[in-house]
Amino acid sequence: MKLATALVASVAFSLALQSAPSSGSHAPDFTATTIIGEKISLSGLRGKPVVLEWTNHQCPYVRKHYSSGNMQKTQRALTEGGAVWISIISSAPGKQGYVSATEAQQLTTARGSYADHVVLDPGGIIGKLYGAKTTPHMFIVDESGTLLYQGAIDDIPSASRRSLKDATNLVLAAWADMVAGTPVRRPATKPYGCTVKYSDIDE
Amino acid sequence: MAIARKWFTQIAITVFAAISFMLAAPYTVAADLGRVEASHSSATLHSEYATAAAGETVWLGLELNPRAGWHSYWKNYGDSGAAPLFYWTLPDGVVAGEALYPTPHRMPIGPLMNYGYEEPSVLLVPLVIAENYKGPSIPITLDVEWLVCEIECVPQDGKWNTEIAVSQLQIDPSATSIFRAARTALPEMAIWSADLNIYPAQSRLKIHVSESEVSGVTEAYFYPEGEGVAEYAAEQQWSITSEGLFVDMERLEGGIEATDGKGVLVLTFEDGTNRAVEVDAMLIQDPATASSGNTPSVHAALPLWQAIVFALLGGMVLNLMPCVFPVLSLKAFSFIAAKSKTEAGRKQEGWAYTAGIWVSFMIIVAVLLAIKSGGAAIGWGFQLQEPAFVGSLVLLMLLVALSLSGMFNITIGVEGAGQGLASKDGNKGAFFQGVLAALVATPCTAPLMAPAIGYALTQPAPTVFLIFSMLAFGLALPFLALSYSPTLAKMMPRPGPWMEKLKEALAFPMYLTAAWLLYVFNLQAGATATLVILVALIAAVFGVWIWQSFSGRISRGVAVLFMVGAVASIIYQPFSVPLGTAVQENNDIQPYSEAKLAELLDEGETVFAYFTAEWCITCKVNEQVALFTDDTQALFAENNIRLLKGDWTNRNDEIANLLADYGRAGVPLYLLFPKGQSEAIILPEILTPGIIADAIRDIK
Repeated sequence: MKLATALVASVAFSLALQSAPSSGSHAPDFTATTIIGEKISLSGLRGKPVVLEWTNHQCPYVRKHYSSGNMQKTQRALTEGGAVWISIISSAPGKQGYVSATEAQQLTTARGSYADHVVLDPGGIIGKLYGAKTTPHMFIVDESGTLLYQGAIDDIPSASRRSLKDATNLVLAAWADMVAGTPVRRPATKPYGCTVKYSDIDE
Repeated sequence: MAIARKWFTQIAITVFAAISFMLAAPYTVAADLGRVEASHSSATLHSEYATAAAGETVWLGLELNPRAGWHSYWKNYGDSGAAPLFYWTLPDGVVAGEALYPTPHRMPIGPLMNYGYEEPSVLLVPLVIAENYKGPSIPITLDVEWLVCEIECVPQDGKWNTEIAVSQLQIDPSATSIFRAARTALPEMAIWSADLNIYPAQSRLKIHVSESEVSGVTEAYFYPEGEGVAEYAAEQQWSITSEGLFVDMERLEGGIEATDGKGVLVLTFEDGTNRAVEVDAMLIQDPATASSGNTPSVHAALPLWQAIVFALLGGMVLNLMPCVFPVLSLKAFSFIAAKSKTEAGRKQEGWAYTAGIWVSFMIIVAVLLAIKSGGAAIGWGFQLQEPAFVGSLVLLMLLVALSLSGMFNITIGVEGAGQGLASKDGNKGAFFQGVLAALVATPCTAPLMAPAIGYALTQPAPTVFLIFSMLAFGLALPFLALSYSPTLAKMMPRPGPWMEKLKEALAFPMYLTAAWLLYVFNLQAGATATLVILVALIAAVFGVWIWQSFSGRISRGVAVLFMVGAVASIIYQPFSVPLGTAVQENNDIQPYSEAKLAELLDEGETVFAYFTAEWCITCKVNEQVALFTDDTQALFAENNIRLLKGDWTNRNDEIANLLADYGRAGVPLYLLFPKGQSEAIILPEILTPGIIADAIRDIK
């Protein structure tokens, strides 16, 4: 009954498929409790642009952007421009990058992050809602709740800090387009980096 | 790609290269240009030529060898990862080209998919040397960053500072085997022309190839080089028609725009061999057929042999479906009776039964094809959309049941039980039991049967007959096996007086079947017609009674008159009032129409569309146990899921078209459309509350 198994498997597979939102469409709403116990929701932040950053402090690609100060620079520019920045950790317990709220708080302080909120998503619910695939994986939602940008932070998929010099920061570019009131020129790019360590990623 | 860099110190490199050389020397036979031991992999740079020459192209090979269990990446890494980055520093007059990658593999990782290599891979890079290149050698400084991952990822870094002498072009014999193997691992050059059609939520690769060139293909998979062509983790569907080979891929609607038609097509053949071919397809954005926003239906990609196997298995499972069981019990019964028969007699009866099923299936399929060729949108179970057929079945079920109850014996079929054990009528009886089984089986779509039938109805007539023959054979198989195997037959109980009681008991499932069919008839034809059919049923039974009780010619004539009149009134239905839509179970459920679905999706609603018919027992069971439970309804309400009901009790072209779009020919079909998306998730044909809940959770 191998065939039957295959059929059942394919049905199960189709059920497991994610349907990520597309740029230009309504960003799916979510509610979350931040590491300091605040309740936030995307709809509750309507009226302000929101940036979502998927992160995993042990991922070399994330480390590159933090140790070089590139991520903090981006965070600072956008939050000072009025954005609410939410860093999301979707690592499942026992997987790389999983942290407790206290550890996350320490990391935020130690790295000098400008994020407004840090959210733990160990069940991968928000991650899968947005189809977050890598760390880092960036999303920009505009004031009206429309997804403006999703993808990589920059255009050189390298873990090395020296790639930054020649790279174009795609988040800053999308932000600049939004501020200028013009359509975002590159609304979606291919993210690069470590796989988000969801619970169903097995050794 | 080739971003030159010079920021590290010359000394560090020289030392590093020297160490690499020392490390490499004992392990490799080839005179390579240096080996780097990184934390989780090693990398060796090979040169095909010992000496290069001006005006020529020489090839370098970068061999990446990840630690066991770790993998490196193809140029398109899929959902996550990173492709190797090359930073060259070369003298004027020498240019490094794009790296050529071996054919990648799929590496699923949880809900995501990566493309790459779990084994050593050699990337080939050409160095093009200008005609006027004058130097005595080509100094090469190369810095490569490559990523290896197991679950966690570790970027690797390698630096080479080396040179190739320039004089006459001369191959390095020690490197030949490495480069030969590397070229074998590359996909073949593009030999077929191809189109890549990009639809909003789907893309379709069409390879212009004749069927004979790709005969024996058991799987086709396309590795797109560019982004925006496919959702990597989604399954790809493929098919081969007279127009070529097609690969259908899901894509993220509104995601990254596809700009590249390149990729690698991997074909797997019956003997297990693979053939990888480069594809450079012409990109066609939003072909005309998609202008309405519809995506084309996915090709029914089931290979023929698989459809045959599904049909056979589906036929066997059909024996267990509630609508077939009464007839099955009849058959079991006559089998017990046949205990004392000769082996040959049993085999004959087994085949007669099989023939009865087969002939009925063939007649139904022939009628179906005839109507279809007339342009009507119909599918499997269509005969039950005809009240006359349902009415006739009610009569049939009733007569069989009465016969079992012992009111009379019908001499054409099911009499075989208690008497005439060795009579030749046994074969005839078995044949008609087969017919009966086939007739009542039609409203039941067993699991596995749906894909086979859906496939069959899109195929030319001979294939349709073949598939349905397998279905018939599958339905007959359990009893055929029983009639052939004395061992199995011995396991059946002895005949005796208990059989009379069993016979009477088995009448009741038949009465219930009749009652259910009457209910269907009532919905189809209305209350007045139901009254007519009830009267007709009584008249028919009266006719049978007269026939049994009086042997005179006149009384026989009267009996026939009553029976013919009854059947005629059932078939002509003078008072039939076709109903538009059947009763609704719930006020929130709206009837399905293409327009309604499009409207709801435009509003960004999540929609659950279910396709059912009153005569579809599987549908009704699903609705009872899974769909209309309080929990499931609460779940729908909680998630603001709008329900659409497609009722196929009577003929409906719009629904038939939709079923065809999903490769189906009958109900049930359950579709969950996530928020405003035209791409539905297809739920299985046998539903449980858990399946629905999981599907809803997954799209949230």
